[in-house]
Amino acid sequence: MDSSSHMASLPEDIITDEHLQQQTQPASASAFASVPQRPPTKSSSEKYAPLDWSVYFDKEDDVAIPESNDVFHVYTAGTEGPVVFCLHGGGYSGLSFAVSASKIKEKARVVAMDLRGHGKSLTEDDLDLSVETMCNDVLAVIKELYSDSPPAIILVGHSCIILLTIIGKKLLHHQSMGGSIAVHVAARRSLSALAGLVVVDVVEGTAMASLIHMQKILSSRMQHFSSIEKAIEWSVRGGSLRNIDSARVSIPATLKYDHSKKCYLYRTELEKTEQYWKGWYEGLSDKFLSCPVPKLLLLAGTDRLDRSLTIGQMQGKFQMVVVRHTGHAIQEDVPDEFATLIVNFISRNRIGPHGIEIPGLRKPAFSKP
Amino acid sequence: MGANSMLAEFSHDLDDQISQLMQCKPLSEQQVRGLCEKAKEILTDESNVQPVKSPVTICGDIHGQFHDLAELFRIGGKCPDTNYLFMGDYVDRGYYSVETVSLLVALKVRYPQRITILRGNHESRQITQVYGFYDECLRKYGNANVWKTFTDLFDFFPLTALVESEIFCLHGGLSPSIETLDNIRNFDRVQEVPHEGPMCDLLWSDPDDRCGWGISPRGAGYTFGQDISEQFNHTNSLKLIARAHQLVMDGFNWAHEQKVVTIFSAPNYCYRCGNMASILEVDDCKGHTFIQFEPAPRRGEPDVTRRTPDYFL
Repeated sequence: MDSSSHMASLPEDIITDEHLQQQTQPASASAFASVPQRPPTKSSSEKYAPLDWSVYFDKEDDVAIPESNDVFHVYTAGTEGPVVFCLHGGGYSGLSFAVSASKIKEKARVVAMDLRGHGKSLTEDDLDLSVETMCNDVLAVIKELYSDSPPAIILVGHSCIILLTIIGKKLLHHQSMGGSIAVHVAARRSLSALAGLVVVDVVEGTAMASLIHMQKILSSRMQHFSSIEKAIEWSVRGGSLRNIDSARVSIPATLKYDHSKKCYLYRTELEKTEQYWKGWYEGLSDKFLSCPVPKLLLLAGTDRLDRSLTIGQMQGKFQMVVVRHTGHAIQEDVPDEFATLIVNFISRNRIGPHGIEIPGLRKPAFSKP
Repeated sequence: MGANSMLAEFSHDLDDQISQLMQCKPLSEQQVRGLCEKAKEILTDESNVQPVKSPVTICGDIHGQFHDLAELFRIGGKCPDTNYLFMGDYVDRGYYSVETVSLLVALKVRYPQRITILRGNHESRQITQVYGFYDECLRKYGNANVWKTFTDLFDFFPLTALVESEIFCLHGGLSPSIETLDNIRNFDRVQEVPHEGPMCDLLWSDPDDRCGWGISPRGAGYTFGQDISEQFNHTNSLKLIARAHQLVMDGFNWAHEQKVVTIFSAPNYCYRCGNMASILEVDDCKGHTFIQFEPAPRRGEPDVTRRTPDYFL
């Protein structure tokens, strides 16, 4: 895969589509000046053409929630092992996990859900991204998928971490209520549906300190695209995603077509959900730390951990991996490495399709010669 | 006469280096190389279970907090007047890993019988590339040569120490693959810290309230319960396991009915945790005294450029 010429830096002001074209023209002209003119081996539109989800996931479904008009879209892959239940970040979609899902499914099942207001999910209030509402959404989907006998679930969350900890606790609570009968516990060899927690690139302290910048960051994004190809191209050349294959499958799901303006816009109007952002991050470090299952925190750089997570990490409360050469969307930028980290986490913590062997049944210690 | 004068000259140079380092001024790349060559010679002769005599002051993680290391020496006494045993993790996280590890290695070379420096899980090529030491070397020397020189030296650090045949000291904890001290003595330790296995476990494991062996939440090593440490102590005629590796808010923490103790010597870890630090004095009658201390008076933090945040929702 030949790499395209990379923009030196993203200008402060909003880049229009025309502006982007003007930017590329001089480079193209100078290229022609030095090289004889001939057709490119791959056209720009072909390079950034959308890819279908079915290249990576096995199946997609609409999950209708009883007694409501809400329908959530899920993508699934794999047939064996525990369920890696993927929750994307704000402004992304379940297809953010597409490329990595194709690797994870070799060892585990994958479910990637489009959250409220994102992707192909349709709800009565797509702007209600409160923790409580989204948490209830996820639990409702899990209930519809598995009724009262969920398999072991490893929750993987990109950014919306507070969802994980609250959902995690409700899964524990739900299971302990339903599983209080000894025969159920014995039969499932598990105390809980929740078997693991993976958090992708979010730290409460850093996030809270940065929220004041987010509206500016959102407004500085390019807002209108004449085609899906242009949107994909911008996400890669603009630097928010670094993996072209992943962008080709995930970016289309983040867009919608505006018939009056005759262009593509962002599906999720994140700027209108600001009232909920603080709630996504407040108190999450302590809640993450108090969740009693194996935990993995993936960071895109030696981020400035807040006090709680620094103490927790140094006390050995969770595993932390710093993934290099990636942006915020680790699962998109380095999908193979991301998938390997998930699979190794499952293997190391011995998470099977029905959970972790309960402590009382742990094998006695032995020493090797 | 020639040999004696050369030795005297070397000691004098070394004293100059130590004096410079005490002011938190890094050595030149050439000085680091020479220092590490000499350290390698000394450490090659040390055992994987290095014997140490009392009195000795046992110290935990430092993590590049040079001014807090200076505070530790003010409180515990200067080396060589006081004998020291450091249980690893000299680098990463803090802003002065270069000065910290240079000073400890220089003291080791200057007073080899008065100071023992063990290996921690951060004395590793892989870990230091992520958690700061590599970047700090690049920043202070303009290239990675000093990082390479030190990480090559780290392979020679002893893994554990034994104080008066009674106190077993190491960075992390026990291993399911190790029953006796002789098991440790028989390793070839001169290698990068492996991802698993007994050498990894010694640098990564943690004690636990739950009995038996457990999967460490850290992703490497094991957790071990009181039954495990009791068995290990009994088998090897030990009275105490002293280890570091975990941040404890008071600077020290007893476990397993005072048979395992955690010592942490980086106060206000990462300049944000608000914890005390401590060191453990073992006197020549084998009495134990913990000395707690707080961070050195804060100097202005060095300028680490804080970039505008990117999209993270």
